[in-house]
Amino acid sequence: MNIIRDLIRQKEVIVCAGAGGVGKTTTAAAIALQAALEGKKTAVITIDPAKRLASSLGLKELSDEPSKVNARKFTAAGLKPKGELYAMMLDTKTTFDKVVTRYAPTPEQAERIIANRFYRNISGTLSGSQEYMAMEKLYELHAEGGYDLIVIDTPPTRNALDFLDAPKRMTDFFESRVLRWFLLPYMKGAGGFMKVANVAAVTFLRVVKKIVGAEVLDDTAEFFGNLEGMYEGFKQRARDVAALLKSESTSFVVVTSPALDSVAEATFFATRLNEEGLPFGALVVNRVHPHFGDDIEVKPRQISRLEKGEPEAQLLAKLLDNHEAFMRVVRLEERNLEALARKVPRHRWARVPYLEQEAVDFSGLIAIADELFAG
Amino acid sequence: MLVEEFLAPKILIVSGKGGVGKTTVAAALALVAARSGRKVCLAEVDRKGTLPRLFGGRELNYKPAQLAPGVWGMNIVPEDALGEYLEVQYRMKRVSKVFSSTHFVDYITTAAPGLKDILVLGKIWYLEQGRQGGRSPQDFDTIIVDAPAAGHMLTFLSAPMGLSDALRVGPVRRQSDWLVEMLRDPARSRVHLVTLPEEMPVSETIETSEAITHKIGLNPGAVFANAVYQPLLTTSEVSALDEVMSDNDPRELRIRAAEVALRLDGEDLEALVGYARFLEARRSIQTKHLRALKRGVQDPVLELPFLFSAGLALPDIETLADVMEEKVAAL
Repeated sequence: MNIIRDLIRQKEVIVCAGAGGVGKTTTAAAIALQAALEGKKTAVITIDPAKRLASSLGLKELSDEPSKVNARKFTAAGLKPKGELYAMMLDTKTTFDKVVTRYAPTPEQAERIIANRFYRNISGTLSGSQEYMAMEKLYELHAEGGYDLIVIDTPPTRNALDFLDAPKRMTDFFESRVLRWFLLPYMKGAGGFMKVANVAAVTFLRVVKKIVGAEVLDDTAEFFGNLEGMYEGFKQRARDVAALLKSESTSFVVVTSPALDSVAEATFFATRLNEEGLPFGALVVNRVHPHFGDDIEVKPRQISRLEKGEPEAQLLAKLLDNHEAFMRVVRLEERNLEALARKVPRHRWARVPYLEQEAVDFSGLIAIADELFAG
Repeated sequence: MLVEEFLAPKILIVSGKGGVGKTTVAAALALVAARSGRKVCLAEVDRKGTLPRLFGGRELNYKPAQLAPGVWGMNIVPEDALGEYLEVQYRMKRVSKVFSSTHFVDYITTAAPGLKDILVLGKIWYLEQGRQGGRSPQDFDTIIVDAPAAGHMLTFLSAPMGLSDALRVGPVRRQSDWLVEMLRDPARSRVHLVTLPEEMPVSETIETSEAITHKIGLNPGAVFANAVYQPLLTTSEVSALDEVMSDNDPRELRIRAAEVALRLDGEDLEALVGYARFLEARRSIQTKHLRALKRGVQDPVLELPFLFSAGLALPDIETLADVMEEKVAAL
């Protein structure tokens, strides 16, 4: 039985994680595609797909709702899905606005927050907001979307683990004590506090004001003032999301390539999932170079003699040279994967070879799915 | 072009999408600069940690440490840069500790996005200025910045322009003007891009290159197309191979092998041809993307070869530096 097939049959949420550039988005899309073929109503949430991959799923713009992948795509490829496939490119900003609207005690308060300049910066640039919103959208679709399975791609962070910490980092940020120090004199009726606030805080303020300007501080204070009373809602939601990620219904698929850096990151990630009590499901090893003719043994001397010979001999020399070069890559990849196998046993792996075509269109996705679900 | 000319500006910024080998290319560029007798500082931005692995050393921190002959490495962390800035500018040694706490930097950079980038660029400026007429260990001839991934890179490099627009007066305004001058002066800085001959990296590079020149007005350098498969067979060899393989029994090749005491059976020959075909298939995909890249960017495209060694280390960087020297000379 194929390990990934087990997951699509048993789980409701699959999180694809890994370093950038290892084919995470493609893997997520291929898993979702296969699940739809096998009868699940599936949604795939992508973060930053390649243009052709996005358009192969019928995605034109960022949105906060999945849209159905046209059945004609399947028919054109000679496939008849038993389920349905939905896809979306996550719109962080809109998702954030909706979260604010949900937790604000009144619509007016929500509007005030959304119009605030500091808030607009947060929703766009604060590190972790994209990860936070990806988790938020995942939770919402799981709770209310009516999908059998949701496959989510994680943002291309510098560090594959960032998104695990994102909800907590965001709520910590909202509650930061340092912030309160800053904002005291800007908050209504807090004038008296300034007198007792310590010298460091006053110095802080003076420098900050100098650096960023008084307006920025006003905006910030207004934002946090408006946020008053909403913290508990945010925190509760962050706890719910964390609970979903730890639950039986969820599984993490770690995507890697056989390159050294990416293997190191995948190993670290698998270990970390374990420590956090998060359910590791499978490892996808992507872009493994194909293996041909392991037992050819040739000496450099033989090649150099061939190089001096007839055209056919020269041709053979080139072929042997090329073979040897690829074998070097294969051996190095094997060595990297050997180290990985000590952390994640091979029966938890799915290997996808470096295909001769690119997985950027619908047929490419099908090719990847065929490899992922082979056996 | 002379390598000297290529290396002329003191600040060389290297950027590209994640996973394209940006750090490798930055390291090779550092070797090229060091070979021409320069003292090079190779700066990572905000701890990614790939750089030290290439040089087989320990983790880098804010203080430059020697990585190879002529090459020093450091990691520009915004928190440290802020600490140093406050110390130098306001003589706030003690308070700067509290300032440099992550929450503070998070807060302040959210309030004024781009400030983090300004801090990093500020440090680069500070390095560029030098201290003691070139004699201080902190003085470098060339500063190579392994910049954040392309998407963030544009925000990173346009941060000073944004700040200069936003502030009318004051010391910070003046300082951000200095950074704008530094980034816009072709005699002082240049931006190189790194990409792979693949769909997404190429389209992103075209957009980035356009934005660098026209939107933020920086000085474009070269575009390095990394990991390009080199052609294996000539056209006549391809047809010769097709002919030989159309036989059920490619005797011709086996005979040649036997002449050098090499035994190859049918399966072996198929394997040899298999890799040749694999290479050709990948290469034709790459060629298509390289064409799109060359059409899409105005900067010179320098191809760097795919290296058949998955674990990149110093010897590989040396090889890339060799190629880089050749390609630059041919410009």
